[in-house]
Amino acid sequence: MQIKLGISAVLLLAVAFLPSCEEKSKEPGKADFDRKALLTNIGANIILPAYQAFKASTDELNNAVGQFMANPSEAGLSNAQNKFKDAYKAYQAISLFEFGPAEQELIRASFNTFPASVSKINNNISAGTYDLNTASNLDAKGFPALDYLLFGTGSNAQAILTQYTTDANAAKRKKYLTDLSQEIKTKTDKVNNAWSASGGNYLNTFITAEGTDVGSSLGQLVNQLNFDYEIIKNPKVGIPLGIKTLGTAIPENVEAYYSGMSAELTRLQIGNIENVYLGRDKQGANGVGLDDYLIKLDAKRGEGSLHDAITSQFSVTKTKLSALADPLAQMIRTNPAPVNEAYNEVHKGVVLLKTDMPSALGVLITYQDNDGD
Amino acid sequence: MSNKAINYEWFMLNSLIIKHLTFSISTAPLAVFRMLFGGVMFASVVRFILKGWVYELYVQPKFYFTYYGFQWVKPLGEAGMYILFGVVALSAFLMMIGLFYRVAAALFFLGFTYIELIDKSNYLNHYYFITVTSFLLMLLPAHRYFSLDVWRKPALQLDYIPRWMLLAVQAQLAFVYIFAGIAKLNYDGLFRAMPLRIWLPPHTHQPIIGPFMDEPWVAYLFSWFGAMYDLFIVFFLAKKQTRLMAYGFVVVFHLMTAWLFPIGMFPYIMILLTLVFFPADFHEKMIRFIRRITGGKQLVPLQVRSLKPSFSQNILLGLLVLHFAVQLVVPFRYLLYPGRLFWTEQGYRFSWRVMLMEKAGTVFFYVKDPASGRQGEVVNADFLTPNQEKMMATQPDMILQFAHFLAGHYRQQGIASPVITAESYVTLNGSGSRLFLDGTVDLAKQPESFAPKTWILPFIEHP
Repeated sequence: MQIKLGISAVLLLAVAFLPSCEEKSKEPGKADFDRKALLTNIGANIILPAYQAFKASTDELNNAVGQFMANPSEAGLSNAQNKFKDAYKAYQAISLFEFGPAEQELIRASFNTFPASVSKINNNISAGTYDLNTASNLDAKGFPALDYLLFGTGSNAQAILTQYTTDANAAKRKKYLTDLSQEIKTKTDKVNNAWSASGGNYLNTFITAEGTDVGSSLGQLVNQLNFDYEIIKNPKVGIPLGIKTLGTAIPENVEAYYSGMSAELTRLQIGNIENVYLGRDKQGANGVGLDDYLIKLDAKRGEGSLHDAITSQFSVTKTKLSALADPLAQMIRTNPAPVNEAYNEVHKGVVLLKTDMPSALGVLITYQDNDGD
Repeated sequence: MSNKAINYEWFMLNSLIIKHLTFSISTAPLAVFRMLFGGVMFASVVRFILKGWVYELYVQPKFYFTYYGFQWVKPLGEAGMYILFGVVALSAFLMMIGLFYRVAAALFFLGFTYIELIDKSNYLNHYYFITVTSFLLMLLPAHRYFSLDVWRKPALQLDYIPRWMLLAVQAQLAFVYIFAGIAKLNYDGLFRAMPLRIWLPPHTHQPIIGPFMDEPWVAYLFSWFGAMYDLFIVFFLAKKQTRLMAYGFVVVFHLMTAWLFPIGMFPYIMILLTLVFFPADFHEKMIRFIRRITGGKQLVPLQVRSLKPSFSQNILLGLLVLHFAVQLVVPFRYLLYPGRLFWTEQGYRFSWRVMLMEKAGTVFFYVKDPASGRQGEVVNADFLTPNQEKMMATQPDMILQFAHFLAGHYRQQGIASPVITAESYVTLNGSGSRLFLDGTVDLAKQPESFAPKTWILPFIEHP
């Protein structure tokens, strides 16, 4: 009885308080946001097409490598190089989605651990036997290793070609190149198949895990978006610039060092991150995205809205990144000022995306499962 | 009234209190508490091991955030940590069955506390509660009734204990709830429904009540109800007339929190341990029930034994008084620090402040070599796990510790006196991120101490 009275008193008090402070503080009302629509849009209109495009490009890469190996020629090499560039670019659009099938296949670590270790690659080639699944071989495979094998083994096409024709290790090198390309294709097929409706239909799993806890789709998406964003900040731009080495630049640590398309890849990646944030597909159709959620929640940053802060930061960052010229390594050596400016803008974005956005969304920012308080 | 009369009344009150405290009561509630605690701890520790957290939290990290004054506590290596967790699990099990109880309880207390002291990134009030409760259990004769120790040595059997022994355990639970309730009486909690205003809307997809989770009034209702629940539940549990109803609230409240928030075993621990407020006959029934299902025999004591007052009991009583005096003061130590508690977190831990704020941050560290003028940035992930980085980003004492670690790291790399600065942004209860620390201060030169940290910037409502 007493407890009943107590509870109803509390209820009454709470209800009595509500209207008055509601008006004064002008706080947002019911968030009323359809997370399922967000996940459906991002899953069906962004992730799925990105995997399909990436799969097509890795198929073509694998075919081109196969043709080049069957009949090493300058034309074959050039074709393989072009298909490699296409696939590496397509990869930038899926690098963010490291959860579910991609996490199982360790796509990020397997496909894009850079800089590649030239000595490991050459040791593997001369040994002729290797296990690509070991952690120690992560920097001897994937796109960075192909980048070296197709662009870095000689100073011009002629010299590269000899590595696959007359060089003492030519046969072993051919096998290694084939194995790496095949691994990319196999893993990509697996992930693409897992997402597709006719395969594992992970799209459905993605759409139905609606919460915001660590294991939920939104939780994973926001966490991985940040992880991906920090790949731009640190390995792609910051570390080659020398942030970790007290200002001593390490230009050769850039992504795609040998093919020299680092800046282009970085621009593609940030474009993809922005697309996921906005819920925008490749054709530019803007559907439900994280931005709509933040707007609905009326999330603030300073006196303005968080959404405005994030959009304008993306815009400034993209402008600065567009000033970068390839090969980026060359630019870092001779004209690092624009790279530094771009880095500073990328850096500012981290705070908005990693602190403000998850906190407003009620998403735990952690890549580890743990109990809270 | 004359002085004499006052003195007399004072004396009467005193002797009444003493009589109440020393009144002999059944040992059963304490014994059942021991079994429940041991059992649920055993399950918790096994769960912790199976989740792979021993490796993730105590083997994998390269750096650990120790507690000030406990820097000597170090992880024991992979094998060592698994052995330690094994010992803690085993002692929890022994506590449950009441075998070699004193040794087991002491081992549990020391082992568990050692683990908790390794890294403050893993601090949870729940864990602190376990440390404190196991400390009390280690001191109390909870094994002298319905235990394997009694079965081994029937002379140990103790049918009655002075009431203060049970009160100690009940008081500890009361401290947890009431201090948690007091902490919830803050402006953001009561008048902005924070942090539930942020934490509840993500649950709109849940069945039945889900669709209401983004209604502001639900957040207010939960905030107020949570505060009132914590403040008063113990009183309702203590009273015979309201006990059953109150326990119903305990079960519903904790199951709700288990369902809504990632708080692991804690709700279940509280649901089980609050049974200690039930009367002795309830616990006797429980013991009879356990006897029946385990096929244990009823030991008929030759004579009913109760504890005679003794010198060691007085020492124990003194210890308990001291313990609760400390418990009473520690949550208020934050008053000694300037600034907003939720922002600075100076004096925040060990105070039963649970579910009070949505706080997140990002911190970048910079290192400068004053000799050469060269400077760089630190990639935190090179040294910290994601969980450590997240916990550190909002807690100044941890930021300072990491800065000192970095200074040492760069000294080893040949920089004689590295300058370490931190650029840090924190958002508190939906405030939007703002600068947290003075980015010009060389943290390498700031001492670790309990003194107020002057380099924490004040929380500005509208920056």
